[in-house]
Amino acid sequence: MSLNVDSAVVAFTFKGGMLPMTVMELSSADPEQIRQQLAGKFSQSPAFFQHTPVVLSVEKLDEPHLALERICAVCRDHKLLPVAVRGGTEPVRQSSWALGLGWFPPVAEGRARGLESVSNSPVQEVSREEAVSEAEAPTLATRLYRGTVRSGQQVSASDGDLVVIGAVNAGAEVLAAGSIHVYGALRGRALAGIHGNIQAGIYCRELEAELLSVAGNYKRSEDIDAQLLGRPAEVHFTKEQLEIKPLG
Amino acid sequence: MAKIIVVTSGKGGVGKTTSAAAISTGLALRGKKTVVIDFDVGLRNLDLIMGCERRVVYDLVNVIQGEAGLNQALIRDKRVENLFILPASQTRDKDALTQEGVAEILEKLKEDFDFILCDSPAGIERGAQLAMYFADEAIVVTNPEVSSVRDSDRILGLLASKTRRAEQGEDPIKEHLLVTRYNPERVTSGDMLTLDDIREILAINLLGLIPESEAVLRASNQGVPVTHDISSDAGQAYSDTVSRLLGEDMPLRFHEMQRKGLLSRMFGGGRR
Repeated sequence: MSLNVDSAVVAFTFKGGMLPMTVMELSSADPEQIRQQLAGKFSQSPAFFQHTPVVLSVEKLDEPHLALERICAVCRDHKLLPVAVRGGTEPVRQSSWALGLGWFPPVAEGRARGLESVSNSPVQEVSREEAVSEAEAPTLATRLYRGTVRSGQQVSASDGDLVVIGAVNAGAEVLAAGSIHVYGALRGRALAGIHGNIQAGIYCRELEAELLSVAGNYKRSEDIDAQLLGRPAEVHFTKEQLEIKPLG
Repeated sequence: MAKIIVVTSGKGGVGKTTSAAAISTGLALRGKKTVVIDFDVGLRNLDLIMGCERRVVYDLVNVIQGEAGLNQALIRDKRVENLFILPASQTRDKDALTQEGVAEILEKLKEDFDFILCDSPAGIERGAQLAMYFADEAIVVTNPEVSSVRDSDRILGLLASKTRRAEQGEDPIKEHLLVTRYNPERVTSGDMLTLDDIREILAINLLGLIPESEAVLRASNQGVPVTHDISSDAGQAYSDTVSRLLGEDMPLRFHEMQRKGLLSRMFGGGRR
């Protein structure tokens, strides 16, 4: 604001975003072993391997030095694009940068369960593969949850919509590959379209949410128009941003 | 068949120990054989509130570790028949508690008692989890403030997942809400959450409402559970709470501002 920059000459703006990202959790540092397993996966679902960006997680490896260049080459051979490395020792970090890859610190143990844990869990990764390979004919499995989702609890529908008959309290988190319907007050965090479905929506009887997200595009509580709070609302991704409207 | 009831809250300082002492006293006054166990190993308080701190010889950890028998550690209340206290250890920490040890003690107590109250420590760690693990019912103590309500909400989530009944797929723990330190004047002025707000968020059955009262602090410091002070509002509110716990239908009291009469307005009588 204080920087007097004319919007006409701005070449770009930085924006925070949460993009769905596949994490490739390495349990072996042997490029040949990785190649064999990738070849098997590739033949099973070739649709998944379409220059898909992946983050190589080496947190579970206990190797100070990695043949990172060879591992990346194996990935590219199978149409996976390594974009960054997560975890590992200082030499791993240096060689990541040397290869033009980004580097993320390891995910701290016991960290608040957020998007990260979703992309980490094997169930979610499998469902992501399915979601991609069955993009034309999605089979949506709706998950129904009866009762209050309480602070610290996480309820997710990894394949389809999530319907909550009850409230989602502050400090709770609901996630769905599809849309989220809350027949009660939504006071916690709601993340719809966690695998990138921008058509997904969030619907609730009373909007008091801490965070709303559709396919990684999010709004925090303080970004929500106060006039919309405490009332029924629907949330969609339109015109490059989240739109929150009164429902009904 | 003995009922195991945990008194818990998540947040500290909301009145768990005061409530455990008052409710166990109330149960014993009605002829129910009751024992109250302090699970706050390392921060022993229940003995002070019950006024038996000078009679503690052995404690919960001694019994778990086989250094004393259960009957040696149980302290008989001097005021009420049928009431016993099992104090916590002040010199150990919560790692001294084991699930097997707690299970064994509760099994033995079940043979002799009608009610076993477990006074949980604050937090959601080992001590709190062991206090709730074997419970049949839970009294969730909540103050009319947002942080207390959120912590209670968290505890309710744990009661539904991290307890024996939940793990073994039995009937869920019966959850009761006990709102304490309720001050109708401050609720009306907007300083405190209303009872309706709390009930809406936590969505469990209301067992009782205890008004903020000078009688509670006085009782704590004198080591006489407030249930004995039958002239006080808090004492009566706990008595109502015990009645509801025993299945009686009692109208709610002390949740609305008292209309001040002419005399109290003239002389500025405070609430007692």
